Amino acid sequence: MFFIPGPVIAALTFPGVIVHEAAHLFFCRYFQLKIYNVCFFRFGNPSGYVIHEPSENFTAMFFVSMGPFFVNTLLCVLFCTAAFLPVWELKVFDPLAYFFYWLGLSIGMHSFPSTQDLSNLWTMAPKLAKQGNVLAMVSLPLAGLLVVLNYARVIWADLGYGIAVGVLGPIAIFKALVR
Amino acid sequence: MSETSTAAGTSVQTSAQALACARCGALIADGYVPVAGRASFCSSCRTLVEAWPYPQWLKLGLVGLLVLLGVALVHGEKYFRAGRTMYKGERLVEEKRYAEALPYLKETLKIAPRSDKAVLLTAKAALLTGDMQTAGAAFDGHDSGKFENGKDAEFLEVSAIWNRAVDAMKKAQAAGKLAVHEAEAARMMHEAAAQYPEMPSLRIAADSYDGGVAFEQKDYDTFLAISEKAWKEHADANSASGMASALGCKYAVTGDESFRQRSEEMLQRAFEMAKGDAEELKVLNEFAERNKYRLESRVILTKAEYDKRFRSAQAAKQ
Repeated sequence: MFFIPGPVIAALTFPGVIVHEAAHLFFCRYFQLKIYNVCFFRFGNPSGYVIHEPSENFTAMFFVSMGPFFVNTLLCVLFCTAAFLPVWELKVFDPLAYFFYWLGLSIGMHSFPSTQDLSNLWTMAPKLAKQGNVLAMVSLPLAGLLVVLNYARVIWADLGYGIAVGVLGPIAIFKALVR
Repeated sequence: MSETSTAAGTSVQTSAQALACARCGALIADGYVPVAGRASFCSSCRTLVEAWPYPQWLKLGLVGLLVLLGVALVHGEKYFRAGRTMYKGERLVEEKRYAEALPYLKETLKIAPRSDKAVLLTAKAALLTGDMQTAGAAFDGHDSGKFENGKDAEFLEVSAIWNRAVDAMKKAQAAGKLAVHEAEAARMMHEAAAQYPEMPSLRIAADSYDGGVAFEQKDYDTFLAISEKAWKEHADANSASGMASALGCKYAVTGDESFRQRSEEMLQRAFEMAKGDAEELKVLNEFAERNKYRLESRVILTKAEYDKRFRSAQAAKQ
């Protein structure tokens, strides 16, 4: 296992950082939360941020926090459609495919919400889950899993996730459909 | 109070006399009435925070990437086609339907000759249908036969089949060189056929050598039986002429006219089946001359004996 500093990884996969913050921004705007500041990318820690007002609306907080997970995953799958076959299975050297391979994986690698994002949910969810809020009930195990995956980034869990959703998943689906 | 996706300080002033914007620090002088417990903003910051705009470069970037993705998918349609044929071929190989798998896998290799998976599947299907030529071409087109992982199970399996086939072919070639020693050649050819049963032509060649042994031993009944088996299993000009030869031998030995008639009929069929094949016709014409002599004289000569008796004399005259 080799270690590469976070800022270097962020620089190499900067589209993922931009999409991650854009997803936060999108859901903040959707739920009409005030946004105080946005940085799509910078060389630092964190490599991007969206500062917004809090909300008592759990649905809003859920989507604001988890937005990057859904949006980044979706775009990872979308962009990797141009790459998963030529790059992974067919070993064809196509620059365009390799570009989308990098782009899709970069976006996929930044799917995980930050621990700050998840802690916001973790604070609100248990009480609401007890009251029967379905979204709160779903968010607890999901948030728990994502916290673990977040820490597992040191062993490239983020890259593994990107490959799983962007490449292995589509290959399995394509194979099943074709066969 | 403000919360943030990341830790960042935001100051809030709630003084009625000097209200400062929580974002830019400017004094708020537009009559804005602060809400208790909430940050206050000047008019321009208020507009901003309530509807933070998406930057133009972000919108253009996303549109540009989606357009490029469309281009990539159209351009990459052939990869989906290759993937489809490869997975179809893979399924057929798993079901041991190797002959059916081969056309699909050959299509894949046209687009992706460097795919380890496609090449190994093609080679496996080809080798297990006795088609060494296709297997060899697949390897040659793939980095001259170099693979990423020499310990991959699929690679080791195909490698073993290839080596088995190559060994069998070497034995077959060695058998072919033992022209005089029919029994030894037959033995070697049978070994080759047993080693690589997927190639029917080795077994056919082994049977042919057996026929040669029977002929050598003047066991014309066995010679005829072997020729009949070959004709039933793969009716072509070669097996037809083999039948004609065996029937000619039986006529020569027994004098039974039915054998002669059948010999002539089989030779006629051989010529019909060889139409258009110049090489085959040449061989048949040569054999027809000898068979005619056999039927007319009821003397059985090997090709070497016939050549020595009649053809070298002709060559000398010329």
